[in-house]
Amino acid sequence: MTGIRLASIAAAAIAPALMFAAPAHADPDTDFARELHTYGIYGQKDYNAWIGKITCKRLDNGVDQDADKSAKFVFDQLQRGSTTAQAWQFLGAALRTYCPDKLPVLQAAAQQ
Amino acid sequence: MWIKASVAAAVVSVAAMALPAVASADATDDYPIPNRILKTSCTAEQIMAAARDVEPVYYERYMIDYNNKSPDVHQAVQDRIHWFFSMDYAGRRQYSEDTATNAFYEQLAWNWPNWAKLFFNNKGVAAHTTDVCMQYPPDDMSVWNW
Repeated sequence: MTGIRLASIAAAAIAPALMFAAPAHADPDTDFARELHTYGIYGQKDYNAWIGKITCKRLDNGVDQDADKSAKFVFDQLQRGSTTAQAWQFLGAALRTYCPDKLPVLQAAAQQ
Repeated sequence: MWIKASVAAAVVSVAAMALPAVASADATDDYPIPNRILKTSCTAEQIMAAARDVEPVYYERYMIDYNNKSPDVHQAVQDRIHWFFSMDYAGRRQYSEDTATNAFYEQLAWNWPNWAKLFFNNKGVAAHTTDVCMQYPPDDMSVWNW
């Protein structure tokens, strides 16, 4: 009897936790992969997340000086047959997800 | 007819066996250090800069590992890899054989077993980096800061 009671209390305690873990609190890598899927970019979730984070790092330490260089870097890492448009979509998603402070770089490229 | 065919086959297979012997290729030509690395004229810094662009995840993981080592090990790694790439093909191949046949040969491996992973461990990575390494500056030490 006590066993059953304890179990149901435990279940009740876990339920809200499960609810809170719903999409709103998914980890950024999962959100990033979901967004990439809408652009038709698949491949390994972890790999794409690495590329997104490294893209930010390269902008941060000046290896890539502008969005064109970033887009080229991304394009080179995407699967063969990917389009330039997909590279830019990937870049936008990466900056929004992992380094929103770098979004002005994208805006600067759009104004050219 | 059958006999003729088998004689022909035997001749072909003998020739096939003889040819590699002439070229004197053996496993140490590609293992443990990939042949591309034994032959490239690039510096360590050129290969690292190439890896940063064409094998970014591999480079990232190596640099994370590197950044967890002490300044002493950093210096030792740089000195050792500079020494390696300063050798010609014969010297590099001898080193490759020495490390393959004697686990105690490379002292640096005791401090950091994967100290040369970015250069030596993966034939595919070596092929990609040595394809484009000539496009990068030979002495840009900033590739060690990541």
